[in-house]
Amino acid sequence: MKITVEFSGGAELLFNNKKSHDVDLPDKDTNWTIANLLLWIKDNLLQERPELFLQDNSVRPGILVLVNDTDWELLGCLDYKIEPRDKIIFISTLHGG
Amino acid sequence: MCSVGDDFDNQTEKLMQKATLTKLSDTCNKCRAEKPCIVLRGKDTYCKNCFLINTVHKFKASLGKSRLIHLNDRVLVWYQIGHPSVALLHFLRTGLDLSTPKKLRFHPIILFVYDQYQLNNKEGKELIENAKRIVSSFGFDCNFISFADYVSNPENVPNLLNSESLFAENDIEKLNLVIHKTSSRTNRNDIKSLLRKKLLIDVAKYWKCKFVFTPEISIDIASNLLSNISLGRGSHVSIDTGFCDDRDDEVRILKPLRQFDMKELALYNNFNRLESLSVRKSAVNPYSSVQDLMAKFVIELQKDFPATVTTIVKTGDKLSLDKNAEVKCKLCKGPVSVSDDLVTSQQSTNFSRFVSNELVDCNKSRQERFSTICNKFDQTNNENELLCYSCTRIYGNFML
Repeated sequence: MKITVEFSGGAELLFNNKKSHDVDLPDKDTNWTIANLLLWIKDNLLQERPELFLQDNSVRPGILVLVNDTDWELLGCLDYKIEPRDKIIFISTLHGG
Repeated sequence: MCSVGDDFDNQTEKLMQKATLTKLSDTCNKCRAEKPCIVLRGKDTYCKNCFLINTVHKFKASLGKSRLIHLNDRVLVWYQIGHPSVALLHFLRTGLDLSTPKKLRFHPIILFVYDQYQLNNKEGKELIENAKRIVSSFGFDCNFISFADYVSNPENVPNLLNSESLFAENDIEKLNLVIHKTSSRTNRNDIKSLLRKKLLIDVAKYWKCKFVFTPEISIDIASNLLSNISLGRGSHVSIDTGFCDDRDDEVRILKPLRQFDMKELALYNNFNRLESLSVRKSAVNPYSSVQDLMAKFVIELQKDFPATVTTIVKTGDKLSLDKNAEVKCKLCKGPVSVSDDLVTSQQSTNFSRFVSNELVDCNKSRQERFSTICNKFDQTNNENELLCYSCTRIYGNFML
């Protein structure tokens, strides 16, 4: 399943300073949720210090998540079922400010 | 084995009832028609259009309500790392470009204060280039000043502005020469914020600006307010955290973003495709200073109780200055409470500290000891008369 993952607001510093990543998620029997995606990101994209991105199986407080420009709080947060061609943005509010 | 409390075991669920989550509305809270795309304060949902209109309106309302800025006034804008500053630049640019009566009619001048001494030369250069690029994308010129150069030579503002060398290898030493190395992190933070304020006012005076805009948002205001109280600056809360700081006779410091959440501004920037300035920060131990601890406290409380910050800020808004205080502190320019016959808590604390640090001369009678110590205390007290309580704590930790 192909989706786009973006990092901004300083979160890209943890991902080799690259903002946009086109990602092909491997097929699996159950649906892909954001919770699964976070673990996948940790294993496949994250370059350094996972504690600055993840905390207690979710994103660290202070990192905002948008799915197709919609707040993930409206979509069920970690339980949102990812669809093909979704654009998921992680915005850090922690790096500076 | 201790069995106290065992009887409650089966009741825990009843006693610790889980708070039921408020169900989020399916339509925008404002227009009641569109599908919402953002949740604020954990309960209010807005569609993209209403959210953007509301955010711009909130900024303009905070400026408009104050009625301080007049036609063609010059305003120094402190540009900083992070989402709030970029949003502020966008608010200003769109406001200046309007052709309706709501157009902003003042002249902003942007200033970036370089104080990121944890970065190496390459990262520092990159940061400055990025700052320049972002500010010029809004059609403003970006001006620079080095914080370390200013504190070591505060009289020389004209030459320091936009100087070629914004950072040098000895910047940290320069800072340490002014702020004593031995002072605690709490005091260092306090001194730095005093000096930063002084820098902004000096630059504003040099460029004949009557106002300074700083990009503090609600969470900064809330943690500053609590830190102020714990550092003995309680009497200055209203000027330090209010909308307008008018301690200086010529330049007023305004906080036009003090009602905004970080989430609001970060998403505002995202929807407007604005890039913010970010930097690798060195890890700070939250227990190393009062200010860091307060920030941690507020952030963590806010996570579970979304009304925390607004409650603190609104409570702070109800506090006002002691109008009778005529003496100004020579460091922070805040009012110093003048003591009358009644002994204040500040004096008692000072007296207690003084007495505990004095050696007792046992050859004298009790009466004599009392009078010598009282006289000595009165003398030292006079020396500190021109300082507010909190500044007496940091006075001596740095050179002016």
